[in-house]
Amino acid sequence: MTILWILLAVFIAACALGVVLSRSPITSAISLLVGFVGIGILYLCLKAEFVAAVQVLVYAGGIMVLYVIGVMFTDSEALRLNRQTHMQAWPAFFLVLILFAWMGHKLYHAEYKAVPASVTVAIATTPEGEAKSRLALEARAALANDTNPRQVSVALFSDYLYPFEAASVLLTVAVLGGIFLAKKEV
Amino acid sequence: METSGFVLLGFLLFCLGIFGVLSRRNFIVVLLSAELIFAGAGINFIVFSNLWKNLTGQVFTIFLIAVAAGEAAIGLGLLIALYRVKHTVNVDAARELKG
Repeated sequence: MTILWILLAVFIAACALGVVLSRSPITSAISLLVGFVGIGILYLCLKAEFVAAVQVLVYAGGIMVLYVIGVMFTDSEALRLNRQTHMQAWPAFFLVLILFAWMGHKLYHAEYKAVPASVTVAIATTPEGEAKSRLALEARAALANDTNPRQVSVALFSDYLYPFEAASVLLTVAVLGGIFLAKKEV
Repeated sequence: METSGFVLLGFLLFCLGIFGVLSRRNFIVVLLSAELIFAGAGINFIVFSNLWKNLTGQVFTIFLIAVAAGEAAIGLGLLIALYRVKHTVNVDAARELKG
């Protein structure tokens, strides 16, 4: 199992390196696409099945197609850049290397303890409220043995309903802004 | 052991994304590097969601993907605007605000 983890991590890291270092933007985009599929496999191994499906369908399938279309719009011009990096590439490289060495050392040697799942006990003042909170606790206990997509969707549509609606507003505004920016008159 | 390895992988993706944003001249690759930063954050969310048996990390990863989609839409609008005005994808061309 550990060998599989290491292979997956090396694969994802190689794809990320390909994104940053390749000369042609289409190679970068395809490398990121393959890396996202690898990250989806990683999510699947970490028991986040629903997020893995969303990662592959929405990210690799939807967002990356947008980027590939962007590359197609501008690629002939992009390939004419004779140098792909700024003057600031070497300072940036050394700064990022120092950041990675220092922070990564701290992160790798930190201790990550698995805390037990905290059980939230609702304070019930009335008998009716007590019955309700007991029902809620029972529902949560039943949910704990359910499948991962059902758990995530129940959390998404109960505890995180308002952020979910806010995310839909954010997406609408972002798409409208993108259309406005890409209009002819601007 | 596994957890620290995955945290390190997420941090590696974050660092590569920062390096790409800082060093590349092609605007598309700058946007793709920003997606790498998002991916690093998402790996951290999922790893700690798995470690602490808590669904919040998975829900936040879904929100992260929504934010990344919005960023892609805005970024491609900017890319097409830049290409229309300057006929290039070089980010150094957008320097009219520089004094």
